[in-house]
Amino acid sequence: MTIGARLRRREDHRLVRGAGCYVGDLRVAGCLDAVFVRSDLAHGDLRQVDLEAARATPGVVAAWSSADLPFLPDTPPMMDPESVRGRPWPPLATDRVRYVGQPVAVVVGDDRYVAEDGRDAARVRIDALPVLLDPAEAADSPVRLFAGAGNVASEKTFGEPIDEAVWQQATVVVEATYRQQLLAHTYLETRAILVRPEPGGGLTVWVSHQAPHRLRRDLAGGFGLREENVRVIVPDVGGAFGGKSETWPEYLAVVAAARRLNRPVRWLEDRAEALTGPPHGRGQNQRVRLAADADGRMLAYELHIDADVGGYPHTGAFVPMATSMMATGAYTIPQVSVRSRAVVTNTAPTSPYRGAGRPEAASAIERTVDLLAHRLGLDPAEVRRRNFIGPDAFPYDTPTGFTYDSGDYAAALDVALREVDYSGWRSEQARRRREGGVPLGIGLCTYVERSGAGEEFGAVEACPDGTFVALSGCCSTGQGHETSFPQVVADVLGIEPERVRLVERDTAVVPSGIGSFASRSMQTGGAALHRAAGKLIEAARQRMAETCAVPVGEVTYDAGVLAAAGRSMTLAELAGTGQLRADNTFAPPEGFPFGAYAAVVEVEPELGEVTVLRLVAVDDYGVVVNPLIVDGQGYGSTVQGLGQALYEDVRYDPDGRPLTRSLLDYLIPTLSEVPALRFAETRTPNPNTPLGAKGAGEAGCIGAPPAIVNAVADALALDARDALQMPLTPYTCWSAAR
Amino acid sequence: MTALRTTLTVNGRPYDLDVEPRRTLADALREDCGLTGTHLGCEHGVCGACTVLVDGQAVRSCLLFAVQCTDAEIRTVEGLADGAEHPLQTAFSAEHALQCGFCTPGFLMLAVGALEKDPGVVRDAERLRELLTSNLCRCTGYEAIRRAVVAAAGDRPAGED
Repeated sequence: MTIGARLRRREDHRLVRGAGCYVGDLRVAGCLDAVFVRSDLAHGDLRQVDLEAARATPGVVAAWSSADLPFLPDTPPMMDPESVRGRPWPPLATDRVRYVGQPVAVVVGDDRYVAEDGRDAARVRIDALPVLLDPAEAADSPVRLFAGAGNVASEKTFGEPIDEAVWQQATVVVEATYRQQLLAHTYLETRAILVRPEPGGGLTVWVSHQAPHRLRRDLAGGFGLREENVRVIVPDVGGAFGGKSETWPEYLAVVAAARRLNRPVRWLEDRAEALTGPPHGRGQNQRVRLAADADGRMLAYELHIDADVGGYPHTGAFVPMATSMMATGAYTIPQVSVRSRAVVTNTAPTSPYRGAGRPEAASAIERTVDLLAHRLGLDPAEVRRRNFIGPDAFPYDTPTGFTYDSGDYAAALDVALREVDYSGWRSEQARRRREGGVPLGIGLCTYVERSGAGEEFGAVEACPDGTFVALSGCCSTGQGHETSFPQVVADVLGIEPERVRLVERDTAVVPSGIGSFASRSMQTGGAALHRAAGKLIEAARQRMAETCAVPVGEVTYDAGVLAAAGRSMTLAELAGTGQLRADNTFAPPEGFPFGAYAAVVEVEPELGEVTVLRLVAVDDYGVVVNPLIVDGQGYGSTVQGLGQALYEDVRYDPDGRPLTRSLLDYLIPTLSEVPALRFAETRTPNPNTPLGAKGAGEAGCIGAPPAIVNAVADALALDARDALQMPLTPYTCWSAAR
Repeated sequence: MTALRTTLTVNGRPYDLDVEPRRTLADALREDCGLTGTHLGCEHGVCGACTVLVDGQAVRSCLLFAVQCTDAEIRTVEGLADGAEHPLQTAFSAEHALQCGFCTPGFLMLAVGALEKDPGVVRDAERLRELLTSNLCRCTGYEAIRRAVVAAAGDRPAGED
């Protein structure tokens, strides 16, 4: 069995030698560098773009504004086309700018130094307009970002309206408001693209991306090319986290520049651009009401979301829908009502960021459950147990429209409580409250998330030399597919994984694909390869049956060898008689991984500083193919979750200028910030695929923040918690305690 | 801008270059010497992905000009494996201390510089923390990196507790 084996990664061999190849490492003859002239105002009318001096700068080959590139297509919406109707996003601003950093012109030069010289020589005149930064305010503002279209790009409701009597008659109703701050993805490799025009009008595009086939479709559609004439290749990618699935305006401008010049052109984003965004993640104002009886059994839950999707809704408007559909988390709640609005503002456009709507949902319900327990004087673990969807209730239809596949939420919570020594810390907390000492708090989060969506392509081919090629439509951005996908194929075929080579991330070789996001790769793409390998065996048995002139039922298969009528042939030998390959596209339903997180914190009362003493993560991803890789995903996502809880925050000044432009302003965790972490798991296989894997990769971003926030609220014994908003800086905690 | 003739000695090999005074060491290594293992993550000296050794000292090559390094011995990740993998490279893989791999060359050079000066750094938790907190990684959460450096220093086999 190779499924479940803790194999070292094949990718590492090149990456530890510095022999990986990221977009910026490509050497393409004659390649020019593009840089962008950007708006330094958050909202305004674009009056003039003067590129005379830019063009005269030595080394600058071209400088163009939108007026010079009339065939530049608008930026396509990633999903939810309705939300962008009447809100076009030209890759280079035409008459209005709507966020600081919006591209106004592209400057192409012999290298980045001279291109930036040219950029700095450009003169742009913008007349300022009033700036909207808060989504709730923007929703009702007379200031319209788009003439003829309101600021609410999308409004959706889920569940059913709740009668006012429910709230009036309930024993207890808790209400709260939460802020999901804007975050910067902060992949270490910033966005990057290199476009080479090919003879005959085609394009080869190397890009740091998560969804190459979608980018191919968008580029072909935008520039009037046939899809087969656009080849998108994703080389090594230095992290993505949801910010590299999109077709960004800069990519369209680079394609246009390369075509116009008929030369290769690349754009390597710099860190200031990356932090300024787009993309940013999260960005929600939430308002909740939760009614319960005296025993803490939930009766009704209401969630209102105003999501800040930035100046253009193209990449972020669908994220609050994911939040809405996960609103009720792990609980049975008889009445549920969710309203979400995606609102345009003058911040940079948002996009999915690791978790993509689920962290926001888990945070709202999990903070509110703890508030309920506090109000009733009940143990928050006990209140959760009283409301969990039971292990025998699956498949479970949620009031918001999902069908949870499987789970045992109480089991995960029990493991977390044991691993963290819950009763021990409760005793210590009681002792300190009695005898004095630094305030100590324990916080829980029992989450459910959604993973995977849609279909994925997978194919397996046996080669005459005894090796196998697996093709996948997924797109690794650091998750180790070259190692884990062959494990799946080898397991089905009963052969050594070293004999299987993965090919993905090249649209010229992989006929179709969706990509890697939403924790979908193993759950969906791995399951597609699992099925393809099974189909390969069936195809081989069929051919063997024909070769031996026996019914297919008489052909046996074992570990790469077929036998029938006293003869035996290997898959390699059979492949020598003609191509032996099985393709399939598989669309299993969404999966619902779950888990329980427990945090123990101290909050220094005079300075407000939070120290995380323990953080336990219990995750259930179903079948785990490579525990080494999945453990790494758990650890990494938990530390990103810690970053949201305590440190990370994209900030703007009142004029909409970003204040977090460097990594000294935007703080991601370093080793010094990482507390003692402990991981455990339960295992409930995905019942909807033969592989049994659920998504793994985003859990820590979902589970860690509410556990930490709840622990801080518990330490401070807060009755009202609206002042306690992430990130929990010392000042925030100090203020909330007063 | 006038280019200056300069010679960089990288991994023991001389590279004769014509570079503008403003060209960073990182760009000279990547674009002019073709040594793309040194990565640029922030270009303002915070993330440490571009860490190389200059005369044995770990430096951020995005904060140095190439012309400042004319008489120096520069070492980059490409010089680390001497046929066989360097113990740090082996340990990084064994401990799963890299995911996307973009920060890895910087961490490797940071660690190799420190271990060559004083392998004892791994036995002092506080000094090790101080050392490794200088670079950023967005994927791993750092613990695997810390373990890999400890393992490479010979204190315990990589991949085992």
